[in-house]
Amino acid sequence: MLRASRLLLRPGGRTAFFTIHPTPGLTPRRRRRAHRDGPVAVASHLSGRELLARAGFVDVKETDCTAEFATVAQAWVDHCEDQRDALAEVRGADEFDRRQTERRIQLQAVRDGLLRRSLLVATRGNDQ
Amino acid sequence: MVTGEERDTRQRFRDHYGEDRTEVVLQIERTVIGGDWGANGYTTIAQANLLGTALGLEPGVRLLDLGAGRGWPGLYLSVRSGCDVVLSDVPFEGLHLALARAADEAANGQVAAVASSARALPFRAGTFDAVVHTDVLC
Repeated sequence: MLRASRLLLRPGGRTAFFTIHPTPGLTPRRRRRAHRDGPVAVASHLSGRELLARAGFVDVKETDCTAEFATVAQAWVDHCEDQRDALAEVRGADEFDRRQTERRIQLQAVRDGLLRRSLLVATRGNDQ
Repeated sequence: MVTGEERDTRQRFRDHYGEDRTEVVLQIERTVIGGDWGANGYTTIAQANLLGTALGLEPGVRLLDLGAGRGWPGLYLSVRSGCDVVLSDVPFEGLHLALARAADEAANGQVAAVASSARALPFRAGTFDAVVHTDVLC
C-alpha cells in the first residue's frame, strides 16, 4: 500500500491516513490478541512510522487519535443497537450481530490498551 | 495471489456496499460520523477535514483515495476542496454508489473511479499530488 503510494506520488507529494495498530511495547501474548481482535488490516508487526520510512517517505508526523476512536466505536455500537430491528431488516439478524460483536471486541481491545488509532502524515522523498 | 481470507473480506465488503442505504442507516451515520457519505468506519467529518488540511487540497490538486469504498473520504474531500480525485477500491459496488453521489453533487467532472487493488493501479509513476486512505493499512 505505502510502496504503491510512493510510486504514484510526485516528488514532494504527501500522504495522510488513519491507521489502527497494536499499541507499541506489548508483550507477545498481548500483541497476538491485538492482531486477533483488531480489524482485518491490523497485520504488520512494524509501526506506521517504520513502514513509511521503509517505503521512502520523510518528514513523518504521527498524532494519536485513540480517544476519538473509542468514542466513535462506542457511538456505532450504541446507535446501531438502538435501531436493532430496522438494521436487522436491512442486513439480516446474523450479519447485524456479527458487526456488533466485531465492534465490541475492538472497543474492548482499545480499552484494554491493545489497540491504538493514529493519523500519519508524510512526504514522498526523492528517488533513492 | 489472493488468499481465501482476502476473498472472504472482499465478498463481505461487496455485500456491505450492496445494502440499501435506508433513512435509518443514513441517520446513524450522520449522528456518529457527522455526514452521510457512506462511511462505516471511524473517520469523522472533523478528521476528514484534518486530512484535507494536511494534504493541502485545493482546485488543481490530484488526489488518490485508496480503499475508497463508497467514496469516503476522497469524494467528500474533492467536493469540499474542489480538488480532482481518483477513488480506487476492489469492490465495484461501492465505487458505483460514489460516482452516483458525485453526479448528485455536480462534481462528476472532478471525480473518477478505478476498480483495482492498490498494487495494480493503472497510473504512471508520479501521477498524484496526494494520497489518502483510512484504516486500510495497519
